[in-house]
Parts: sequence; C-alpha cells; structure tokens
Amino acid sequence: MSDLITITIDGKEIPAQRGEMLTKAARRAGIEIPVFCGHPKLDPIGACRMCLVEQETPRGRALITACTTPVSEGMVIHYGSEKAVDARQGTLEMILINHPLDCPICDKGGECPLQDHTLAHGPGKSHFWEEKHHKAKNYPLSDLILLDQERCILCWRCIRYLGEWEDKPQLGLFHRGGETVIDKFPDGELDAYTSGSIIDLCPVGALTNRPARFSYRPWELRKTPSICTHCGQGCNLRIDSRDDIVRRHVARENVAVNDEWICDKGRFADDISVSPARLQQPLARIAGQLQPVSWAEALQRVVSGLKGVAERHGPAAIGAIGSAKASNEANYLLGKFMRGVIGSNNLDHREGAALLADPRGLPSLEAARHADLILLMGCDPSEEMPVLATLLKRAAIRQAAAVVIVHPRRIELARYPGHCFQPAPGEEPALFDALTRATLAGRGEPIPAWLAGAAEDAQITAAANALAAAQRPFILYGSDYAWGFGARAIVASLTNWVTAAGHGDRLGFLHAQANSQGAGDMGMLPDFLPGRRPLADAKARGDLEALWQTELPSQPGLTYGGMLASARGRIKALYLLGANPAGEKPADAAALKALDFLVVQELFLTETAQLADVVLPAASYVEGDGTFTNSERRVQRAPQAVKPVGNAAPDWLILTHLARAYAPERAAAWSTTSVAALFAEITQAAPLYAGMTWENLGAGGRQWPWQALSLQRSVQPYKPAALPADPAYPLRLVVGNQLWDDGVVLAASPALAQQGIKAARLHPTDAAALGLHSGDAITLRSRSGSVRTTVHVDDAIKPGTVFLPYSLAGAPAGALFDEYAPRSAVGVG
Amino acid sequence: MSGFKDVLDGAAEIAKAMGFTLKTLVSEPPVTVEYPDEPMTIYPRFRGRHELRRYENGLERCIGCCLCEAACPTGAIHVEAAENDPAHPTSPGERYASVYEVNLMRCIFCGDCEAACPTEAVVLGHTIDLAVYNRRDMLLTKEQLLNPPDPNTVIRGDW
Ligand code: SF4
Ligand code: SF4
Ligand code: SF4
Ligand code: SF4
Ligand code: FES
Repeated sequence: MSDLITITIDGKEIPAQRGEMLTKAARRAGIEIPVFCGHPKLDPIGACRMCLVEQETPRGRALITACTTPVSEGMVIHYGSEKAVDARQGTLEMILINHPLDCPICDKGGECPLQDHTLAHGPGKSHFWEEKHHKAKNYPLSDLILLDQERCILCWRCIRYLGEWEDKPQLGLFHRGGETVIDKFPDGELDAYTSGSIIDLCPVGALTNRPARFSYRPWELRKTPSICTHCGQGCNLRIDSRDDIVRRHVARENVAVNDEWICDKGRFADDISVSPARLQQPLARIAGQLQPVSWAEALQRVVSGLKGVAERHGPAAIGAIGSAKASNEANYLLGKFMRGVIGSNNLDHREGAALLADPRGLPSLEAARHADLILLMGCDPSEEMPVLATLLKRAAIRQAAAVVIVHPRRIELARYPGHCFQPAPGEEPALFDALTRATLAGRGEPIPAWLAGAAEDAQITAAANALAAAQRPFILYGSDYAWGFGARAIVASLTNWVTAAGHGDRLGFLHAQANSQGAGDMGMLPDFLPGRRPLADAKARGDLEALWQTELPSQPGLTYGGMLASARGRIKALYLLGANPAGEKPADAAALKALDFLVVQELFLTETAQLADVVLPAASYVEGDGTFTNSERRVQRAPQAVKPVGNAAPDWLILTHLARAYAPERAAAWSTTSVAALFAEITQAAPLYAGMTWENLGAGGRQWPWQALSLQRSVQPYKPAALPADPAYPLRLVVGNQLWDDGVVLAASPALAQQGIKAARLHPTDAAALGLHSGDAITLRSRSGSVRTTVHVDDAIKPGTVFLPYSLAGAPAGALFDEYAPRSAVGVG
Repeated sequence: MSGFKDVLDGAAEIAKAMGFTLKTLVSEPPVTVEYPDEPMTIYPRFRGRHELRRYENGLERCIGCCLCEAACPTGAIHVEAAENDPAHPTSPGERYASVYEVNLMRCIFCGDCEAACPTEAVVLGHTIDLAVYNRRDMLLTKEQLLNPPDPNTVIRGDW
C-alpha cells in the first residue's frame, strides 16, 4: 500500500502522506487552516475547535477538527464552505466572549495568533455585551513565567508540553465551564528546566516571560538567528534586540540539535550584555592599581610585557589559556598568536588536555530520539544539557528505551525503567569490569584472566545483556568520569564494556561547555594543532607554517594544570582568555600572583582579572560574530546581534591588533578583517572544517563527520588506580555541573539568582550521623583547604560522598582538591 | 497715441487700488498678529506640540503600548515600557511608559500618533512656538510632554 495518497480540499486535489494530520497536508498545499491547540510537536487533542472544516461522509457533510483528523485516501474536505467558515467564526466569537482584549499591554500583541485569526477568520463583532469573567491577571507560575488567566484560551499546549516532553506534569486545568483556569497543582512548583518553552508555545499572551516583560513589542525587534552558549548542545535560538539591547531569547527550530526547545538558562540568562558589571574599558596596573587606559596603551603594555618575558626567559616562559566558552575564532587566534608569534606551545584550556574526552564528542544528538537504550556514565544530561534530557526522556517513554545509568548520584533520568548503578568514587572500574565480564560471558567469548575476578550479580548481568542486545543505543560518558585521579582507569574500563558489547563506535562524550569541542578543534591544546592534528606530525606543522608564514615550535607545551603549577617556576607570563582559575581554585590565585606578567581578556572583572597586569574587555558572544562547535561537531554561527558595550571589542579583533603590534613584520599573516574571512582561514588550518564557509553554515550549522577521526577500540587491560581511604576525612568528594550555579553568566542575571538549590548535598544517613538538616551551614574540609556553604539533604546522593556543584559562590570545589582530585577525601566541620 | 492712454489707465488703476488700501487702513481692524507679544489665533484641531495627558486622579493615561511609535511615519517617537509598582502605579493597569520621547526634528505633525493611541494619552496640542537654541532641545522628554507649557494661542470660535 503506497503511503502517498490524494485528498480533495475545496475541489482541489492535493497529495498527502497517509496518516498525517489534515492540517499538515493542507499546509503543504498552501492552505493554512487556523489552529490554537494543534501544534506539530505536540500530540493532537482537539481542545479549541479553531480548525473546523467540513468532511464529506456517507451520511452527508460533517464538521471535523482538522488537527486531529488523519488523512485517508479519497477524503473530500471543504475548507471554504459557508458552514465551515461560519463554524470557525463561531469558535472565535466564543473564545472572545471572555477574552480581555488588552492587546495594547499584552506582550503577545503583534505576534498573537488570536489577533491574526480574529482578523482573518473572526466575526468582526460580538453578540455579547455582558461583563466578562475576571480572573487572575499577573499570576506568577514561577520567578520566570507569569500567567494571565483571563487571556488563556485553554488550548492545553502548556500542559501537554510539560507532560509530553519534560515528563513533569506541573500544570493542570482547574474549575469548570467559564471559570476554568490553568494553574500549578497544590504545593507543586513549575520548575522543569525547559519550562520557558511553554511561553513560546502559548498561542496567546497568557504565558509571558517575566524577566522580559514589557520590554519589547514584537514589531520593533531586530531578530538575529543565533545559538545558545551555555552548554555543549548549542541549541538554536533567536536573539531579539532593540536599540542594541537584547530584549529576549526565543527558541529556533533545528530538529537535528534542539528540536524547537531551549532550556531556561538559555532563555532567561540574557542579561549578560546589559550587566553593569561588564568591563567596558581596558585596564592596566599602574602604581599597583588597575586603572582605565586606552586600547592603544593597553595593547602596548601587553606587547612590552610579553616581549620582556620572552627576552629574559625565552618564549617557553609564556603560556596562554583559552576557553571552552569562547568562539572558535578566539581560540584559533590565541593559538596562532602563541605558536606563530610568541613561539610557545604552552596552550590549553580548563577542560583541555586533562580531560579524557573523545576527540569527536558524541556521534549525533538526533540519535537520542531513535535510541532503544540509553547508557549514561558519569554525566547528568538534566543538569548539563537539559534539552538533550527532554529528548532522552521522550525516547524512554515513547520508544521504551531502557535507561542504564552509572553515576555517583541517582540522577533525574534514573526515574525511567532500566538499571541505575551508583558506584562509590574509586569503585567504578570494578563495576565496569564486572559489566565487561558479564558481556563477554553473555556473548560466549573468552574471558581474559585479568577480568576473571570481576564480580557477578543478576543486575550486572541484566544490564550487560541489555546493552549487548540493543540495536541503537545512545551511549554517553561525561566529565564526571573523565578527569582527575583514576579517570584513566574509569574511561578505559567503561570503554572496554561498551566495546565488548559491540558498540565501541557509539560511545560519545558529553561536553559540558558550549565550545569544548571547538576549543580542541582549534588546537587549544599543548600537543595538538588546529584540526586535531598532532603537534608531532611534521606535515601538519609544515602546512600551518606555510599558512601562517612563520615557524612553529615542535616541543609540546604545558597543560592547563601544568602552566598554573609552573607559575612560580618556569612560566613567567600568562595570557588568559575567558578563563578564571583564581575563582575556581584558591591555590591557583596564589600561583597567578607570582607571575611576572598576567593578561586577562574577559567580560567581567573576575577574581583572575583582579590579579592581572592588563585587563582587556572582550565583547560577549552576542556582541560579535563567531562560530561555535557543539558536542556533535556541529559548527554553528553566532552572528553579532548588538553592539559591544562601552569600548569592549571582539576577541578576534583584540588578538589581531595585538599580533600586528607585537610583530609588525608578520602583519601580512594577520590581515583578516571579518569573521567570515577568518573562518575561511580556519577551514584551511583545520582540514576537518574543509568545505565550510561562514555563508554555508547557514541557519542550522554543519557537522564534520564522526568517521573523520577513527578510533580503534578493543577490550584492553589497564592500570588500576587505588583511592586510599583517609580516616581523618571520611567522606568522598563528588563534583559536577548543576544548571543553576553561581557562574558568571548567572551572577550577571538577577532574574535567575533565586533558581535552584545552591548547596552541598549529603545522603540522609550521613546527614543524620552528622546531625545536619537541609539549610544548615557547613564547612567542608580536605587536606588542601576548606569551603563554607549550606547543606541540602538528598537521598539521591551516594552514602559516604558529598556532592559539591562547581561554581557555587564562595565555595569553589577547587579549594578542596587534593592529589586525588576531584575524588578528594573530605570531612565536615 | 495709445501709449499715452495706457499711462492714464495705469494711473487710474493705481489710484483705485491706493484708494482701497486707504479705505481699508482706516475702516478695518489689522489682521497681523504681533506674535509672540500677542497670542496666535488657531483652529481647535490645529496640530501643535505633543502633550501626554493624565486622568483626573493624576495617573498617566499612557500605558507604554508603543502603538504611537508604530504608527508614526517618521520614527519620531521612542517609547520604553516598564511594569507598574502596584503600590505606586504610574498609570492604571500593569504597564506604563518609562521613557517617552518625541523628536520634533522628525515629526511632520500628521497626528497619526494621536489617532493610534488607545487611551488618548498622546495628543497634538496648541503650542506652536517650537523654536529652540539647541538641537537637543527638539527632543521632548516625557517630563516635558506631561507638563506642557501654556500655549500662547487662542482658539477660533468661527469654524
Ligand atoms: S492574547 Fe492576543 S488577543 Fe489577547 S490580549 Fe494578548 S494580543 Fe490581544
Ligand atoms: S496558558 Fe496558553 S498554552 Fe496554556 S492553555 Fe492557556 S492559552 Fe494554552
Ligand atoms: S504627528 Fe505624525 S510624525 Fe509627528 S510624532 Fe505623531 S505620528 Fe509621528
Ligand atoms: S501614547 Fe498612547 S499609543 Fe503611545 S505608548 Fe502611550 S498609550 Fe500607547
Ligand atoms: S486546533 Fe484543532 S481543535 Fe484546536
């Protein structure tokens, strides 16, 4: 039976796909049937009756709702018939009976389907003159979303989104008849991490963006298609600005990346451009104080400072730290400056060389939708990539994908059927070995001697069999397992398991930062050049020398940790772009103070910038053109939406001017004047990016292929790393990313300050033993230092561990890092 | 011959015209207004300098809806809105104009803003003396618009 059928609308035959909804088939033929409740991303429900059309049936014509009616062969529909038009008019008149029509003060006015449909299909005037129902008008559903119950037309879109995508039914309908209202459940909260999507979905001005309220009218906005830079997913969004001030972010559809959703951090943390804390002017240390100076003077000071160090101690005494939050262009040029102009390979970023990430990130985000099994190891998509988490939840529900989790916390996705393992820090390799052993046993393969002693139990066997049997598993490991003491053993052992199950080529890495992938792709690593070509590869160096018209040092440089550790030794000068080591680890602040010369290129006067000799104010990603590469190697554009604040300048421009001032004789290699031209240079320097241009990245970006770098994997013995117990510090530290932290982005957004629980977390048994309750102040101590914070008691925490999110104000996890970091031994009190 | 007659005819015409002038000079009151020493007489629907009006209780009529801005053909109006503090509202309802500016250098006094306004907040008033010494003063602020000067005009009754 063919899937292509023919239906008739108003006498016109149109092709349609069997089973698709009538609204969709009609739209393809150019007939826009008006809808309110119907939405392509939500299940049909038929709640509003806006889409009424007439259908020929054996018993005469009948009114049907087009949004809930699948097309069938030979179907005859009347859209423009008198009865259909009349029915739609009646629906609108009905909806408007109690609608307040406060369009002039309604944020939806100007982009409101109710206005548009009323104009196109409405009756023009009403039979009703009675007083309208009055309901709550600016009713806060959360700190981020306001509800106007009078404007609500009861389309159920918000309810359905939270149920169908977030699997968090947090809104419902209450009362009946004309009194029906949307509300939260008693004692319930609206706190789903993508809750803001319901603002985009609401077809009227009932749900509005609270921080952005009244700050724009849709027609006056400049709409710049861009991306979000808060995590490694790279969700597509639109930046709406007016008068060079960002007014709001709305989601932009890209089915391959984020479907049509963005998380609340991406939507609401848009104040970064207007934050009064932004650096607007270069600063230089004059007589011990940071004082505003001109750009010319600031650059001159950077040039003479770096040159002085290079002359006294050689180029290897200079290092640079890039950022996984900065654009490809910024990281590329910082690398080009360090390697090509200064002559040093001391080049890294925080999640750089020390992170045992797959150099290709993860195979494909879209694959999450089709997964039949989801395996998450040491990552928590709900906190680290909330939109991916919605896709995974949907796969768990709609495709019955089993969810297998290995994580020190019982993460949100553990609520789906599957297996959840919570190995204590240090016990992960033993668990993965047991899973590998069970997998090999299940496949009837020989078990190597080094695996023979691995544990056996029913749950391990079941999980191993589930992965081995899966056809389309979506497999991720994350940074919680990929750096620090013992990470090599964890990654080796988990790779063994996945490889033994026959899915070695599906093992992906979840990058936490927007451009973690891109920073590596750009060669922001001590031993890799742009395009992930090894520094040791003489041909790669030669290609780059020809392009950059210079000679490149071949000695691998120091890593991020190495540079900071050598700041009291052989490293004399550092150039930090978007990196804040001093804020993350007090010991590093002390190290930075010992430097001869420190340059910080930043948005804010961070803890690190306060120590600098020269501070260069950078434009944020909305203020300049740039490209970012997400976790699935998709290179996406973030074009300039607004002017930079004050005298801030885009990273690439700062670096270009700096290089030209430092080495005027090399100016020819530093002559690009736009990001489009610079990106063209990048595609030459990084062969993985060949074929891409600023233009052809388009609105949806382009991926470099997973197969471009092939990794051979096999089950291999590895070197275990024992984590010794420390009776003085009986708990084990677990660090991780949390969506609502106190990072610079959120600190700059007052609207978001109250989101989330910002505390260390303990299991109830540990808390009881220590006599602690949620909200109590605690001091965490390790052999390296201590932090003060509050405690939150949470039974998702593994007993014997304490979870401390990164970037808590005043409680940097780095202060606790001992030589076993991040799996450090800590104590309370 | 005809040249002489032309001269005579011309003289007669001039005498006639001068006679009318003399007669009007003594019989009619002057129409020239010694503006600004005396007020100007204008029609009631004359479109002069903008004003923002208030309700009797003192609340501003303007709700910051930006419709005047949208209607303005010259881009002379700039509005920014904000949320009323329920304890001390600026206007009735939830929204008010936190910034309201009219750029008189752009305005062509078409009155479209007035027509677009859903609350009759912005009106073109009867002030016609718009000359200033400084171009910046052509940018009227919300404060100036809410407190218009007394127009130096009288409204004609014969319309
Ligand atoms: S929801 Fe639409 S129709 Fe209703 S007040 Fe707002 S703009 Fe007007
Ligand atoms: S609040 Fe909006 S999305 Fe929700 S039911 Fe009402 S109209 Fe629909
Ligand atoms: S009178 Fe016309 S040109 Fe002047 S501000 Fe109003 S709409 Fe604009
Ligand atoms: S003057 Fe009238 S049209 Fe203009 S913003 Fe105020 S209320 Fe709206
Ligand atoms: S759009 Fe069809 S019933 Fe609502």
